[in-house]
Amino acid sequence: MSDPGGQAKRPWKKHIADQLKQRDRVQRQAFEELIHQYNRLLEKSDLQAVWSERLQTDKFDHQNRHDLSPAAEAGRGDALLQEMAHIRIRHQEELTELHKKRGELAQNVIELNNLIQLKDKEIQTNEAQILQYQRRISELEAECRGLGGSLQDLERANQTLRDEYDALQITFGALEEKLRRATEDNQELVSRWMAEKAQEANLLNAENEKDIRRRQAKLQKDLAEAAKEPLPIDLDDDIEVLQVLQEDTAEATGDTSPGRAISRTPSRRVSRSPPGGILDSLTHIFGRRRSVSLSLDAAETERSSAVCTEVCLPTTALHTFDAHDGEVNAVCFSPGSRVLATGGMDRRVKLWEVVSGHCQMKGSLLGSNAGITSIEFDSAGSYLLAASNDFASRMWTVDDYRLRHTLTGHSGKVLAARFLLDNARIVSGSYDRTLKLWDLRSKVCMKTVFAGSSCNDIVCTEQCVMSGHFDKKVRFWDIRAESIVRELELLGRVTSLDLSHDRTQLLTCSRDDLLKIIDLRSNAVRQTFSAQGFKCGADWTRVTFSPDGSYVAAGSADGTLFVWNVLTGKLDRTLDKQHSSAINAVAWSPSGAHVVSVDKGSKAVLWSDI
Amino acid sequence: MADDKDVLRDVWFGRIPTCFTLNQDEITEREAEPFYLLLPRVSYLTLVTDKVKKHFHKVIRQEDLEEMWFEYEGTPLKWHYPIGVLFDLHASNTALPWSIIVHFKNFPEQDLLHCPSNSVIEAHFMSSIKEADALKHKGQVVNEMQRKDHKQLWMGLQNDKFDQFWAMNRKLMEYPTEEGGFRYIPFRIYQTMSDRPFIQKLFRPLSPDGHAHTLGDLLKEMFPAAIPQDDEQKYQVIIHGIEPMLETPVQWLSEHLSHPDNFLHICVIPATND
Repeated sequence: MSDPGGQAKRPWKKHIADQLKQRDRVQRQAFEELIHQYNRLLEKSDLQAVWSERLQTDKFDHQNRHDLSPAAEAGRGDALLQEMAHIRIRHQEELTELHKKRGELAQNVIELNNLIQLKDKEIQTNEAQILQYQRRISELEAECRGLGGSLQDLERANQTLRDEYDALQITFGALEEKLRRATEDNQELVSRWMAEKAQEANLLNAENEKDIRRRQAKLQKDLAEAAKEPLPIDLDDDIEVLQVLQEDTAEATGDTSPGRAISRTPSRRVSRSPPGGILDSLTHIFGRRRSVSLSLDAAETERSSAVCTEVCLPTTALHTFDAHDGEVNAVCFSPGSRVLATGGMDRRVKLWEVVSGHCQMKGSLLGSNAGITSIEFDSAGSYLLAASNDFASRMWTVDDYRLRHTLTGHSGKVLAARFLLDNARIVSGSYDRTLKLWDLRSKVCMKTVFAGSSCNDIVCTEQCVMSGHFDKKVRFWDIRAESIVRELELLGRVTSLDLSHDRTQLLTCSRDDLLKIIDLRSNAVRQTFSAQGFKCGADWTRVTFSPDGSYVAAGSADGTLFVWNVLTGKLDRTLDKQHSSAINAVAWSPSGAHVVSVDKGSKAVLWSDI
Repeated sequence: MADDKDVLRDVWFGRIPTCFTLNQDEITEREAEPFYLLLPRVSYLTLVTDKVKKHFHKVIRQEDLEEMWFEYEGTPLKWHYPIGVLFDLHASNTALPWSIIVHFKNFPEQDLLHCPSNSVIEAHFMSSIKEADALKHKGQVVNEMQRKDHKQLWMGLQNDKFDQFWAMNRKLMEYPTEEGGFRYIPFRIYQTMSDRPFIQKLFRPLSPDGHAHTLGDLLKEMFPAAIPQDDEQKYQVIIHGIEPMLETPVQWLSEHLSHPDNFLHICVIPATND
């Protein structure tokens, strides 16, 4: 089709179209109708010609038979008419038949229309169903999508919860870390604070000491000056002076700091007497405080040697009493043999006085948070050191039962704590396989030695610390070098150590039910004690020498006390029927008169030879 | 492409009112009335004049019947020219209807071809188509068509079926778009006074630089005298009874104003002042 816009550009096209239209108008339309009608007329005229010819021939025939009656003519005409009527009738019959056929066809058409309508309705219903199904499908799809969405949301929520949980875990871990560090810091700070306090106290002590030393120096100077002056010696005067001076100094010593011990444990202090020799003689004459102490020392050492000879074998139980609520673990005599200390699982240390064959309770020392494992008096008998299952060792003053120091630092229960011979240091052995050396002035742990095995008992000489361990070894430590000098292996776990009074022999008790005496100079086992029926009851069963070193006493698991003779090596006494449970510890009084044994059943028995 | 359906329809359905009169010399039994007919421009005389023959056979004695031939004003009409061409060439400016005289005797053997049956006309028609396609597409399109397609073309013409004919003829009017037109334009220029029957030469529809050649270019090259000069028109250039403008592109003319035999028949006649 030519576009109207293009016609402006193509005038020739329009021209041609117009020309064609014009031509057609002129040449065709003008003549079309005319020619058509002409041809029809021609046809008609031809037909008429044919008809007329036919009629003419008929007429000629008719004229040839002119003689015939006009009726025959009419008859012929009738015949013709009849023919025509026949033809007409035939045509009408045909017409009626055709009408009938048309009626039948119309009927068919109607039926088919009905069918078509039915089919249409079916199709409609089907389509409606399809629509319904499609709607249902879309609904279900939407539901499905919704569910998928909610599932995703849940997953996301779950994921976020998990993430949060992880984050919380991490924070928790971090907080735990922090707490741990905080507790460590706290402990460190507390210990530092304690150290500071101890330092302060030490400073105070130092100050006091300096003061005292100054005064002493001054006194000495005065003494020295006075000594230069000749004086008349009068025996009676001397004694009076001595007595008076004694009283004076006694008064004077009354107000000194409790840190200065008046009496010193003789057996442990023998080695210390020589250094004070020169002053000894001087002060001896003038009866100064020092001399008092040293003279007492001397007196005591005599007494101690005298004590050694008065050892009596226990034969009878003088007093059986309940010492504690629960197991009694440790027992110890004070150096003066007057006071007995027992410690038990009821966390108390009880002090008893041995008076005429009876133990009277003097008091109890509180402060421990768990059971007491070992007790020791210092050489003067004024301090009591107890090791406890609460990982700490504690020191009380005996006179006023006040807790003075708590030494913490072990990470396991402390099984043994002992004073070193200078009374200024403590060594403790613990279940945590370490030995700790504590300085009493600063009250801090000076050294921690890793022993490798839980330490059950400790004894000290002036150079050496001996510890008995779970791994059947006895370790010898040099105090100054702070290292192991020797190790001795036994056949069973070492449960107890004890030194003889002259510190040349070491008594060990081990779980293989054997007691051994080791000579410290030759490092050889001198004696082995065993007995039928003697069984070591626990890992901490304590055994003891007699004060003179001639007997050895040990308690058995069945409650029997065994006493062996050191020289002969034979069992001397078997004392039973007093204890109903295993004996935990035995102690021999330094005076040799009494033996005390304590058992698991909270009983303590006082033995003597009366 | 031949899109202008209106033009195509007008061209196809063009008619010429004709009056056939029997030659006086013919012996008739009765007086023969003239026969009037609207002849299709695009067809051939012997194809559409059966009715004429029948009409005149009614009045002619059987023994005198020979091949019918036609004549106009003394000129025997060649049946193998399209009727429109014959009319435009001989009688375009005369009064309508076109009066043709029908002869049955004395067939002019020198001037006319015999036409014993329709298959002769068909053969002539098909050969014109092939010749035209040879010019347009080197004969490729018509050779690709099947025998039934050729038959369809002929039947379309014979039965005067526009759609049937153009269903096939469309293919013959196509050209590859990069060419811009046919290879050569199939055309014939007829003149009344000439020793040659017609002018037919090679002519490209596009100039070498791509301009479309117009009718004027064609005439300038083939028949320069036909172009009016100095405001004086000596000749009329008639195609299908109309005078197209000389600016008409010759490619478009070939697509739309060709006869069914795919040729562009152009008649150049002396201009008359009327």
